[in-house]
Amino acid sequence: MTDLECRPLESSRPNPHRATASSNFEPTFRDPAGQLLLEEDCALRRVRPAAIEEALRFLNSPLRLELERDGNLIPSEILETDSLAGAGSIPQAAEGGLWLRHPRIDPISYPWEWTRAQWRAAAELTLRIAGKAISAGWMLKDSTPLNVLFSGPRPVFVDVLSFEKRDPHSTVWLAYGQFVRTFLLPLAAARYLGWPLETTLFWRDGYEPATLYRALPAWRRLHPALLDVVTMATLFEGKSGKTGKAQPRPSAADPELAAHILHKRLARLGRQIRAVAGDSAKSQWSRYEQSASHYRPADIEQKKQFVSGVLERAHSASPRPARVLDIGANTGTYSLLAADAGAEVVSLDSDSAALETLWRAASKRRKPVTTLVANIARPTPAAGWKNREQLSLLDRLAGKFDLVLMLAVVHHLLLREQVPLAHIGELCAALTRRWLVVEWVPPSDPMFQEWLRGRDHLYGHLTEHHLNQAFAPFFAGVDRCALENGRILLLFERHGREAAVHSAPGDDPA
Amino acid sequence: MRLLLRILPLALILLGASLLFEQRAYAYADPGTGLLAIQAVGSALVAAGWYLRKKLYSLFHRTAAAKPESQELSVPELSVPKDGEGSPLQ
Repeated sequence: MTDLECRPLESSRPNPHRATASSNFEPTFRDPAGQLLLEEDCALRRVRPAAIEEALRFLNSPLRLELERDGNLIPSEILETDSLAGAGSIPQAAEGGLWLRHPRIDPISYPWEWTRAQWRAAAELTLRIAGKAISAGWMLKDSTPLNVLFSGPRPVFVDVLSFEKRDPHSTVWLAYGQFVRTFLLPLAAARYLGWPLETTLFWRDGYEPATLYRALPAWRRLHPALLDVVTMATLFEGKSGKTGKAQPRPSAADPELAAHILHKRLARLGRQIRAVAGDSAKSQWSRYEQSASHYRPADIEQKKQFVSGVLERAHSASPRPARVLDIGANTGTYSLLAADAGAEVVSLDSDSAALETLWRAASKRRKPVTTLVANIARPTPAAGWKNREQLSLLDRLAGKFDLVLMLAVVHHLLLREQVPLAHIGELCAALTRRWLVVEWVPPSDPMFQEWLRGRDHLYGHLTEHHLNQAFAPFFAGVDRCALENGRILLLFERHGREAAVHSAPGDDPA
Repeated sequence: MRLLLRILPLALILLGASLLFEQRAYAYADPGTGLLAIQAVGSALVAAGWYLRKKLYSLFHRTAAAKPESQELSVPELSVPKDGEGSPLQ
């Protein structure tokens, strides 16, 4: 059993008091078999009439039970459509079909916010599921990273309409091309060409083999992991051209041989994914904890004690696990501290290598930590059709947290991103429901000096008082702890929503 | 020997391809022309290896396999007919 509740497959009525749907999300429309709608507390999936028979066959299959039991597939529950139509707030309910309810994985993390290790984990999950499906007489009809979400550090396959009955004689996996374009080639491009995985935001269907072929140096085209999927595929494409007609596909007379061929293909894809995903990434910030000379052990201990005290406060105020957002989480010392204290944590950092260290630690220790590679100063935008297929980062995070940690982040926003203190306070007020911890780094600090770069007249005069003043419209100061190294930890409690709405930030950089 | 090494991969592909026949591919996700061709070549290679392995296995296990086969031929299997079914010997 997984942390996502696995319910028996039986009809049940939806909650009439459920919260309204997320208004910025468009119901999905690309899959001819059905569409997905996001609610506050669940995800609703409508299966179109033509696909109901196959969907029910899969939902009642041992394969679905096995995948759910292992935590690899999102649990599903069949809803009564008449009661859904009676609710009246879902226009699609009038169109009929079969309705399924899934638990929400919150927040959604998109592939362009994953670390390289997460890409590999999602790819391996897809191949594992495809392998089990083949053995059970099924097949995945699509295979994109968008079919996978991370529940904490664990990948979960969320598209139950991806399964279709397999032709036992077919030796072709029709979604092979999509797997190569959307999993393998972006990882290869990141590894060998330095194309960031974040740019997949603009490449929903991945890279074409010819795109990589043109960009790769000649000797790299012969790499064993790329020879077939990049070089040979490009050459074949050139020879056969694009006719627009359905392509001929090979089949085997012997079903045993067909399954053998498909399993071999998955095994090769697994080896190719491992080859291009590479080892653990390293960066300037991924060893920040070990190399930070401006922190003495006593300072770190004092900081941990302060954060632990705040976590206790957040837990005592809430009957459920506290939700914590760690902005600038780095390798996750304080994210893991919060997770150890029983909180559900979302960790944000723009450094993918540092966050990968945290993801590995959270996976190993099975802690509920969701990692998002993102820059809070330039948050991930909404994407897709009408900007409503994938939600923006702030749409997914706003108002979801009991506690927000901004440890050694404010001076980055102030000096590198040139965001005034009042604007930072306003954003924090939008993210947290109650508590906020800010680590104030004074201008005398070596890290502040490193980014000041001759702009003393703008930022050199700033003190803790300026921070308090800028945050006052949104927060009240509750606690304070001065570290030996001159940095100051501040605990704020959010005012009521009215105060935040009526106080617009000013134009002063401070 | 060199000629044999040159011909062998081609022969394997042809052998594999001869074991496969064609259907049309209609997919929800774009299968891609080049990548579909890669699958066809891969399928042919794996199929060739699969059949070769089977042939080699049967070569080395011919004597062991031949004995029970001849027994089966000499002693026809008799089964109890189900209700409503006549015996094949009737």
